[in-house]
Amino acid sequence: MGGKTKEQKQYQSLEQKHEVKRPVLKNCIKAFFVGGLFCIVGQAITYFYIYFFNFTEQTAGNPTVATMVFISMLLTGFGVYDHIGQFAGAGSAVPVTGFGNAVISAAIEHRTEGFVLGVGGNMFKLAGSVILFGVFSAFVVALIKVLLIKWGVI
Amino acid sequence: MRKILITYFLVIVTLLCACNDDEPKGNGIALLKTTNPAPLSLEKNTKKELDLIGAIEQDVESFKELYDVSVLKGKEDILVAYKVRHMQRFHMKKIEKKIKKLLKEKYPEENFIVSSDYKIFLEAVELEENLKDPNYSTEKAEKRLQEIIKLKKELT
Repeated sequence: MGGKTKEQKQYQSLEQKHEVKRPVLKNCIKAFFVGGLFCIVGQAITYFYIYFFNFTEQTAGNPTVATMVFISMLLTGFGVYDHIGQFAGAGSAVPVTGFGNAVISAAIEHRTEGFVLGVGGNMFKLAGSVILFGVFSAFVVALIKVLLIKWGVI
Repeated sequence: MRKILITYFLVIVTLLCACNDDEPKGNGIALLKTTNPAPLSLEKNTKKELDLIGAIEQDVESFKELYDVSVLKGKEDILVAYKVRHMQRFHMKKIEKKIKKLLKEKYPEENFIVSSDYKIFLEAVELEENLKDPNYSTEKAEKRLQEIIKLKKELT
């Protein structure tokens, strides 16, 4: 990019003077604790699956993730998750629960455009990239692992 | 309206929780508490057998990274389940490797299944609990042990 013009620089200094400072540290602490709270719930669900069903620690992860996403989808539908998101920011978006929120909030937003073109077409507007890059990176990692095993490195 | 829906959902979930009849009996607390189960053999408990599994339990318990060791001897396999101390859980793989190596060197003719999984431990304790009942047949116990071993080998 080329250098900024004189007007742009002037505007930037003006902007900086008036801009409210973001409470970064406070936001981080909030996100840390709310995110940690979600993880406690996730751990409880993991133990629930280990304890009452035939899942080991190895295999209990999958149903736990599914349950957490399902819960966050319900909470988004009831309008509770928006408030959590407002308060906690990244703490509610980074765990898998953020995925459920992204799917359902997009679906609700485009509900007025009809079921096929609205809900169906826009549901994965945000979450689609998660699936795409998740699947693709898993594919690449698996490919590397297969090659390494073939060559006898691991 | 919304409140009613939420309450309705919660009630349904709570009620559905009862639709599950394979919950563990009695020993349920083993997930949280140190139980220190005694080593047991599914076959006849001769002096030689008891000495062998007792020695195995002692050997595994000598690792200070873990607590609560359960040893179960079946017809061919010996199931060793243990809990790892919380801060040592980062080294879980290393600990498992160390235990496997030690057991293989010390008892080369036995076949060991080593697991640090809570579920395996829970199942082992439940099986021991069942074995106390004299009506619980050896075949049934052996079958259950094989099921646990299968569960251990299962991956995602």
